[in-house]
Amino acid sequence: MTLFLGALTIGLILSLLALGIYISYRVFDVADITVDGSITFGAAICAVLIVKGTHPMLATLAAFGGGLAAGAVTGILQAKFKLNPLLSGILVMTSLYSVNLHVMGKSNVPLLTGRTFSTWAEQLGRAWFGKPEVNLLGWLISARDLVTLLLALGMVVTVCLALYWFFRTELGTAMRASGDNPQMIRALGVNVERYRILGLALSNGLVALSGALLAQYQGFADAQMGIGMVVWGLASVIIGESLIGSRSLGLAIYGAIAGSVLFRLLVAIALRWGLNPNDLKLVTALFVFAALVLPQWLQRRGKRET
Amino acid sequence: MLTVSNLRKTFNVGTVNEVRALRGVSLELPEGAFLVILGGNGSGKSTLLNAVAGSFRLDAGEIHLAGQKVTRWPEHRRARLIGRVFQNPFTGTAPTMSIAENLALAARRGQRRKLGWALPRNLMDELRDRVSQLKMGLEDRLDNAIGTLSGGQRQALTLLMATWLKPALLLLDEHTAALDPKSADLVLRVTEEIITRHRLTTLMVTHSMQQAANLGDRIVIMHKGAVAYRFTGADKQRLGANDLLARFEDLRRREMLDETAAALLRETYL
Repeated sequence: MTLFLGALTIGLILSLLALGIYISYRVFDVADITVDGSITFGAAICAVLIVKGTHPMLATLAAFGGGLAAGAVTGILQAKFKLNPLLSGILVMTSLYSVNLHVMGKSNVPLLTGRTFSTWAEQLGRAWFGKPEVNLLGWLISARDLVTLLLALGMVVTVCLALYWFFRTELGTAMRASGDNPQMIRALGVNVERYRILGLALSNGLVALSGALLAQYQGFADAQMGIGMVVWGLASVIIGESLIGSRSLGLAIYGAIAGSVLFRLLVAIALRWGLNPNDLKLVTALFVFAALVLPQWLQRRGKRET
Repeated sequence: MLTVSNLRKTFNVGTVNEVRALRGVSLELPEGAFLVILGGNGSGKSTLLNAVAGSFRLDAGEIHLAGQKVTRWPEHRRARLIGRVFQNPFTGTAPTMSIAENLALAARRGQRRKLGWALPRNLMDELRDRVSQLKMGLEDRLDNAIGTLSGGQRQALTLLMATWLKPALLLLDEHTAALDPKSADLVLRVTEEIITRHRLTTLMVTHSMQQAANLGDRIVIMHKGAVAYRFTGADKQRLGANDLLARFEDLRRREMLDETAAALLRETYL
């Protein structure tokens, strides 16, 4: 049960990563590798500030700001310097590796002493439930784990609503259009380059936020933690689309979150069944491959049978 | 309203693919006028339109629009003054977004977009009202994605979007060329209606001599990047499709003579 809760919680935390990738991949049609660097950047900023005694909320917000800056740099490389999107992402990600090491001072920053969301969760757990363990439908689970899950859920729901609202505003609608049909929106007076910078900034801001929360959950920030995260996020977005569809903005956002949670659950189950953790990244890639190819294949088979 | 002076543009300079697309084109368009630009392939008519719209930087020449010097303005800045309908029905609308959202985007053409709600109630009412004037039944499908509409419907919507806020200049780039005859007729009807109702200054590019004869109050025939003929007023009204065809034959006949042969003939007989 703890495994289940843990998977759910991490799935929710990483759903912010999925949302960030949804913005860059689906709205702007750009595979933004900066994500590998900005998630660690967020974790690093947050961890260092918390160890120094900053309030976890402020530390998390600062991490969000860091992500905004990283995304903006990628966007500027594409818009002002006309670099290929993939290449600009790679350049920023590579640079961030060194930046992160500078921020952290070393390659790993443990969060044993500072106040984090996890310590809040523990305090709230004790306050709400009185005892360290809670009986939920016959299973005995740690109160701290339950409250952590609820906190993560609360944060994700807040971000979702904010994002949904944003994309229904004039600015957000124009941003969606600038990815859908840049030629048209330019003829309607939109500076497409500036919107792309804004969009990539927002995308990486969400990713860095995810990194900050992840660091607080797992208790440390590590320079290597971002490696391969972009595939993780893509997998979540694609699974979400296959299951829930992307017919409307709301469904797409919901799909990204559901995809992230489901994916983490599947990974947890696979690990429980004895999957070698070393094979995890390979299995993830195969999974994304299957999720991309299967819908086409099923469609073709369906046509043949009619 | 629009003054274009001595525009020059060469693409791919110095390479094998060098194309002298505009070779010193000038024209003047007073407010409320409807100019048709006619020409064959490679005559530079679409290039001229793109130059006015700001899709690329000119090598030489000036463009003045609504009293402002827009030569150096980027495309999105000129969009405040210009409404544009493209040749490709897919270029003028955002396919994954709904009809209402596309129109809402057009309703803020050239204006700063902030965090206000994109589809407030009063805008939705106005959308329904003006879309029903097209008489295509689209006002009941405002929330459908544009991708489900036919080419003709999309062009009609693009036209509506380009003229939602009255533009200083309406640019029509062979906007019925990619449509079937029935849709083309419909879109042309809507075009004429909107232009007359709002008294728009219009620049229309076409390769159809029939359209050129029927529409507009002045005409410019382009050939190889330069203006070959100009007709306005009564001269223009008198022109039928056959007259235009005759002009094109003229141009082609002139071309059949090699440059050096022409010079020799001129020397010998003139």
